[in-house]
Formats: sequence, C-alpha cells, structure tokens
Amino acid sequence: MNFLWWRRKQQERELDEEVRRHIEMAAKERVERGEDKREAERAARREFGNVGLVKEVTRDVWGRRWLRDLAADAHYGLRILLKNPGFTIVAILSLALGIGATTAVFSVVYGVLVNPYPYANSDRMVHLAVHDNAGNRRFVNLNGPQLQQLRQARSVESAAAMDGWNLTTTEGDLPEDVQAVYFTSNAFNFFGVPMLMGRGLLPSDAPEGQDPENVAVLGYQFWQRHCNGDPGIVGKKIQLVRKNYEIVGVVRPRFTWGDADVYLPLKLTADPVRTFFIMTRLKPGVSRAAANAELQSLFEQFAQQTPSHFPEHFRVTLEGLNDQFVTRIGGTLFLLLAAVTLLLLIGCGNVSILLLARATGRQHEMAVRSAIGAERSRILRQLLTEALMLSFTGAVVGVTLANSLVKLIVNWLPEFSFPHEASISINLPVLYFSVGLALLTGIVFGISPALQSARPDVAQVMQSTTRKMTAGLHGRRTHSVLIAGQIALTLLLLAGAGVAMQGFVRMMRVDLGYDPHNTMSVGIPVHDNTYTTWEARRTYFNQLLQKVAAMPEVVSAGLSTNATPPSSGWEQRFEISGKPAAEQQRARINFISSEYFSVLHIPLLQGRFWDATETMHGSKLALINQTLARQYFPNGDAIGSEIRVPQMKGEPPFALAVPGSDSWFQVIGIVGDSRNNGLRDPTKPAVYVPYTIRMPVWTQILVRTRVPPLTVLRAVREQIHTVDPDQQSIRDVRDLNGWITAQQEWQQGHLVATLFAGFAILALALAATGLYSVISYTVAQRTGEFGIRMALGAGRKDVLLMVFRSAAMSVAGGVLTGVVLTITLNRMLARWIQGSSLDALVLAGVILLLVATSGLSCLIPARRASSVDPIVALRYE
Amino acid sequence: MAEKRARYQNRIELLQGTLDLLILQTLQWGAQHGYGISVAIRNRSGETLQVDTGSLYPALYRLEKQKWIKAEWKTSENNQRAKFYRLTATGKKQLSKERSRWAQLSAAIAGVLNPFER
Repeated sequence: MNFLWWRRKQQERELDEEVRRHIEMAAKERVERGEDKREAERAARREFGNVGLVKEVTRDVWGRRWLRDLAADAHYGLRILLKNPGFTIVAILSLALGIGATTAVFSVVYGVLVNPYPYANSDRMVHLAVHDNAGNRRFVNLNGPQLQQLRQARSVESAAAMDGWNLTTTEGDLPEDVQAVYFTSNAFNFFGVPMLMGRGLLPSDAPEGQDPENVAVLGYQFWQRHCNGDPGIVGKKIQLVRKNYEIVGVVRPRFTWGDADVYLPLKLTADPVRTFFIMTRLKPGVSRAAANAELQSLFEQFAQQTPSHFPEHFRVTLEGLNDQFVTRIGGTLFLLLAAVTLLLLIGCGNVSILLLARATGRQHEMAVRSAIGAERSRILRQLLTEALMLSFTGAVVGVTLANSLVKLIVNWLPEFSFPHEASISINLPVLYFSVGLALLTGIVFGISPALQSARPDVAQVMQSTTRKMTAGLHGRRTHSVLIAGQIALTLLLLAGAGVAMQGFVRMMRVDLGYDPHNTMSVGIPVHDNTYTTWEARRTYFNQLLQKVAAMPEVVSAGLSTNATPPSSGWEQRFEISGKPAAEQQRARINFISSEYFSVLHIPLLQGRFWDATETMHGSKLALINQTLARQYFPNGDAIGSEIRVPQMKGEPPFALAVPGSDSWFQVIGIVGDSRNNGLRDPTKPAVYVPYTIRMPVWTQILVRTRVPPLTVLRAVREQIHTVDPDQQSIRDVRDLNGWITAQQEWQQGHLVATLFAGFAILALALAATGLYSVISYTVAQRTGEFGIRMALGAGRKDVLLMVFRSAAMSVAGGVLTGVVLTITLNRMLARWIQGSSLDALVLAGVILLLVATSGLSCLIPARRASSVDPIVALRYE
Repeated sequence: MAEKRARYQNRIELLQGTLDLLILQTLQWGAQHGYGISVAIRNRSGETLQVDTGSLYPALYRLEKQKWIKAEWKTSENNQRAKFYRLTATGKKQLSKERSRWAQLSAAIAGVLNPFER
C-alpha cells in the first residue's frame, strides 16, 4: 500500500512537470515567433485548455480513480468533522446509542432465535409432543421397544434416549447435588458436537442386555466448578452415591443438554413400564406435517400397548428444539428490537437535522465547488463519504457500548426462557449486522441533506452575500417534518415504556396471599432404591423436618412436596361427592405438612388444620382455598363435603401412596388464597392434602428463619446430613423472594420495563438535542431578522414567542402523530407487553413529559434570541 | 463545466483509433515529447488536425500502458528537461497493423462515397 502511495505521488509529480513543460515550450515557440512574452504565456495556457481537467482525464487512464477520490473525500471529511467537534460528537453519540442498542438487542435475537444450538443439524431435531383434546400440549416418553420402532420410521433419521436423576458426590464433607443425565450410547454421535477433552460415550460403554460401564462424561460447568477446570481430569475417578466412575471426557461449554453435571451411559431395558425422554432427528427434506402424519399412526399403536403413557385422544405435533423458547421470549425480543429501531431512527433523524443545518451553512462552499467544475455526483459522493464516516465511527462506539449492554440483557433474560446452549455475544454475524446498519444509517440520514446541498443554485448563492435575513422556506419545512417525526417516535417509545413500567409495578404490588420474607425452600431429592416403603419414607421425611425445625435460627418449618409459591401444585381433575363431575373441573393439588400455612402466614378462614398425628397416618383430609370454595361451594357448605382426585395414585417404587389415595377426602377447612399460578394470572382453585398421601422421590422443606435464610443454608444442610450422610439438597436453593423474581413474567416484565425505560429516556434526550439544534440554528440564522424586528419596536417577549411558535407547530404535529401511532399500535403492544394496556393517565403523563422537555430545549435558544442587541444583530454577519 | 468534460471525453472516443495511429506514426521518426507530438501532427496535417491536450495525454498514457511506447525523461536540444516518448518493438508492429487497417477503412469509405469510380 505504501509502495502504491509512493508510486502514485511520483506519477502525479511527473504529470505536473510534463504539463508545465508543454506550456513552457509552447510559450517559448511563440516568443521565438516574436510574440510578447506575457502574451505568449497566456496564449499557450489558453491553447492548452483547462489544466486541472486535462490532468483529471489523464489520471483516469491510471485507474483506481474511485480509491483516489475516496481517499481525498475521507481526508477532507475528516478535516471538516474535526473542525466542528461539537457537531461531530453529538452526531456520533446519536448514532452510537442507536447502533449500540440495536446491535445489542440483535445479538440477543441472533443468539436465542437464529442460532441457539451447537448440535449438528439442530433444525431437524424435534421433541415428541402431542396435543390432547383439550388443547394441552404434552411431551410423550417412550419405552425401549417403542424407541426401536421409532428408529424404523421412514421420516426419522436417528433417535436417542435419555433419563435424568439427581445423584450426589460422596467424597467431600457435605454431599453435593449432581444432576446426572443418562444417555443411550449413540447420543454423543447423535448430537455431533466435538468433545472439549477425552471422548463421549461409546456403544461399548453400554453393551446390550448388560449393566453399563462405570464411565462418566463431565458437563463443562461442573468440570469448572467441581474440578476447578483440571486439564488432566480425563482418566481420574469420581465417586457418585458411593460408586466410582472413570471420567472419560468433558463436553464443550455450549453442550448443555439437560443442564447436566455428568453424562452417564443409560441401560436401555425392554421393560415396558420404564420410559425415556426421546431425542429425534428427522431425515432431510421431511416436513413437520409429513412426520406428524407418519408418527400419528405409530403412536396410536404405542398408546394401545401402554395406554397410561398417552392422553386418551391426541394429535402428534412434533416440536422443533427452539419452538417453546420462540413462544416464550420471541415476542419480547422483537418488541425490544422494534424499540431500538425507533431509537436508531430518532438518532438518524438527529444527525439528519444536524447535517441539514450545516448544509445550509455550507451552501457557499458547494456553490464554489460546483462553479469550478465539480459534478453533482462528485459533491454527493463527498457528502455521503462524510455521512458514512460519521456512521462508521458511530458504529465503532456503538459496538463498544453494545458489548456492555449485551451482558446486562443476558443477566436479565428470563432464565428458563432461552436455551442455555445459546451463546449471546457480539460475534461475527452480529458485526456484519452492525456494519450493514452503519452503511444503511449513513445513507438514510446522509442522503436527504446531500441531495439538497448537491444542487446549489450557483448564481443565487454567489450573488447573495453569506448574510441572510430569513431562512429558506424549504429547509425549514424539512426541519419541521424531521422534528415532528422524532417527537412522534419518541412519544411512541415513551408510551411503550410507560405501559411496560405500569404493568411491572402492578405485578410487584400484587397481593401474594403469603409472606415471602425470610423464608426459603430447600429441595431434597431422594436416591434411587432408598426409603422404598411408605412407612420408611414417611418417617425419613418427618425426621428431616424435625431436625430442621429444631434449629435455633429457625422460626418454623414445614414440608411441601410441590407447593413452593408463587407457582405451586399439581393440576388435576377433581370430583365433589354428590355433584356431577364436570370435565374441566380442575384444581392445583398441594402435598404439605400442616405447618405450611403458619410458615407462609396463610390464614385459616374456616374449619381446622389437620394435626401431626393425622399427617403421620396419612389421613384423608383436605383443605381448600377460598377460590375453590367460592367457585364450587357458593352456598358455604364446603366444610364436611367430600372431594376426590382420581389420578392421585401411587407409582412404586417412585411415588408411594397410602391405600385409597384416589378415594374420597373430607374437606376440613378453608384457607386464604395465595398465589399458585404466577404473579399475573388469577389464583387457581387449590386443594391441600397431607404430604404423606403421596410421596414422590423428592420433597422440599420450607424454612422461616430469624435471619436472612440463605445464611443458614449450610447449617440446614448439615442437619440433613446427620439424618442421612448421603442426603444432599439441591444446589439452586433460593428464598421465596428469589422464586418470585425467578418467575418468567417477573423477569420478562423487568427486562422489558427497564430496557424500554432506558431506551425511552435516551430517545427523549436525542429528540431534545434535535429540537435544541434546530431551534439554535434557526435563531442564529434569523438573528438579522430579529434585529430588524426589535429595531422596529418588537419586544423581547414577542421574539421569545416567535421562537416558541416556530417550534410549537412541529412539536404539536409530532405529538399528534405520536398519539395516533400509539393508539394504533396499542393492541400489538398489549399482546407483547403481556397483561398491560395503554391507559389515558400514562398517555397524558407521557405527553406532558414530552411537551415539557421540548419547552426546555427551546427555552435556551429562545432566550438567546430575545436578548439579542439590535445593533449587534444588524451588523451580524 | 460538466458539459466541457463530456466534450473532451467525446472527442477521445471519436478519435481514439485515429489518434493512436497518428501518435505512433509521429514517433516513428524519432522520440518526441507531448508538445512536439501535437506540433508535428498539426504541421503535417497542414494545420487541419488540432490535437486536443485533453485527448493527447490520456492517449499517451494509454499507449504507454499497452507497452507500445516508452517514456523517458531527457534533456532536449535547447537544454530543457522533457518527457520523451519512443516507439517500442511491439509498438512498431502495432503501427503497421493500424496502418493497414486504416488503409482498408479509407478504401472502404472511399468506395462507399464514390461508387462509380471502381
């Protein structure tokens, strides 16, 4: 490049000299013929023609002219931009904010929706899902023989099976919970992701009909956390529930299937009762509909073999890996993308305004350039180069900003609403996007000012002095439209933010019906083949509860299998004795000890609680919540009635139930409503029964403490340890506030409200800057006019009013357009910002804020105008 | 201004083949600088052909690029530095090619203009 540059200079010098010699020789000849020396020189020059132009067309022969022009334009542009640092900084910041925010949100969209999985051909991987008659979606699991049949299906390329269990380390001082995923030996091949270290599971690890080898593949996070990222881990042993496994490999960071800590070989049995989660990949070119149709008949066959594993009537609806996440977060992300696009547009509007204002100042320059032979396209190119320099600098700053914003958004993303495989960062495709964005924005904001100033009316500009009494009508109209557009978009964004914030605040203020403070739930998974009788498990759970309840830091403790609010219970159909059972009569069934209500401060409204003895006996007693009582016992005759949950049966050795658990239960009391279906949706009818009625391989202890509960977590774990030295509790223990903020609607509301508010504030600042620049510029341009008016007797107030009036039109137009836009888009907004819709108060507040801000940004230039000294103004050049 | 530039370009196109031929022919009598070439063409054509500088210099650079002529800085007879162009071996071949093509062309045009003289 350097060499080329040097050569180009050399060529340039030679051409200069050649032309000079030419003219010299021609002049000399004329002198020799007897002409006057000066006359001869002039004639020679005239005869030669336009030196610059001759050079120009000659240079064309050299080629790469565009590069030369670009370099010249860039050089000149840089000088211009550096000469006006204020303008440049405002322009670059306006763009950087827009491009940065857009890039950040796009990188999340790209990471979560476009390219979330590292697995081979993940677009053809599906979950086996069916819809029942009521429209509920369910995943179906298959047993071993069914899996073999599925693999034979025409539309299926391959399939693998998995199972999950909580294991524990049995080497350290306290047992640590380990999430184990058992894979059929073809699974690693199925996923097609290279290993970080060592190898994946092989067919030889799980020979057919034999117990699998004791080998383990570690998850990346677990390897980091438990083994401190030991690079020599392969070949070492790990003890899980007193069994030694040889570590054969470590998976890559993005391989997070099942969020597992370890992957172990699965023993695929022919036992028809044992079912597994199935991972399926379709053959290329097979449509989802075709696969659904083929599997429909296959699954109907399966349903005849194992009726309890399928709904009575169903329709196969295979689901792509990302489908559920698209439904959960897709709308939110596109809403944010729309918001940042608005921000970007407002930023572009700002730069357009600034450029336009400056273009008017540069009219003279353009006219001169045109007069000495610059083509229109050449001027246009120069101006576009300047615009692109701005937008690319903006993009660079923006990408830097985006980097931090992405981290923020990732932290705030609802944790179970995006695939954990997703790698959300500023990567190459995202950078392409930003560059494209910079190009596009450069053209969008640069083209209109450039078009305008590339068509200077030479004669008019050259004749007039640089001094003008009034601004051109055309420039003013463009400004008004831009300002109005900015205001309209800002109003839309502000209204969106207002709605989102209102919705989120409403959610935070919701009446929970329970007291989440100083309470945590400690999850306890039971090991395979332990406490396999009803009595043993009941006694074990009770022992755990008593140990924890006796701790000095603990105020009270209760057992709840499945009842940690705000989303609790097992939704089932129930029947009321003596009343016809409606098909859709459903309630949330909660398995608890009677202390549950005192721990959570849920009031008893009528009747009584069951006591400890009744718990230990597994008495068939039930409490219902107020919603159920109101809905199904409007006459207040709930107490003493009987209800029954037909599906409430044991499944030994996993779930152990008292005999007759699916028979009639006596209702002995009514408790206050507490949230059981999230923070947004109304509380569902709920039934509470003693936990001893049905005990799965899992329980939770709810603990109310005197101190922040997580500080006593270790002590609680030690107490559990004294009952069973191999008993771990889950790693992810949170207090009840933590479970509230873990709710998807809370996190989504938080994300949308915070980001929207942030973007709206930025938009407001940008719009204010835009307005301020336009008004200041107009005021500066009209200084002469104001001077004359004041000399003729206009007061300061009149001038002040004149400035405000000029702004008021565009602001009012913008507000009006914005309100119309907001109301039009309201329905869309309400769908995406769930549970919220625009109300008049928010809209009024937003308008007020916008008008006040606009007023403020006019005030400073307006005061400047009104304090003009007429004498100075008239002399002003 | 834009029109003026267009005029230059038009003329280059119009004269392209011919101008190249004239330059090559002029250089056959010895190396010459740009001004010399334009004077030579003017004189030999009896002042009929005025070579425009805006056509001449691009043509010279183009011919040089084709390696038909070669440029050297030399001092002229009256002790002035100037860029001299001379014909190369390939340039000579090109000249004879262009000459015969020109002969054909002018014969053909003459044939069209005077159909009965054949």
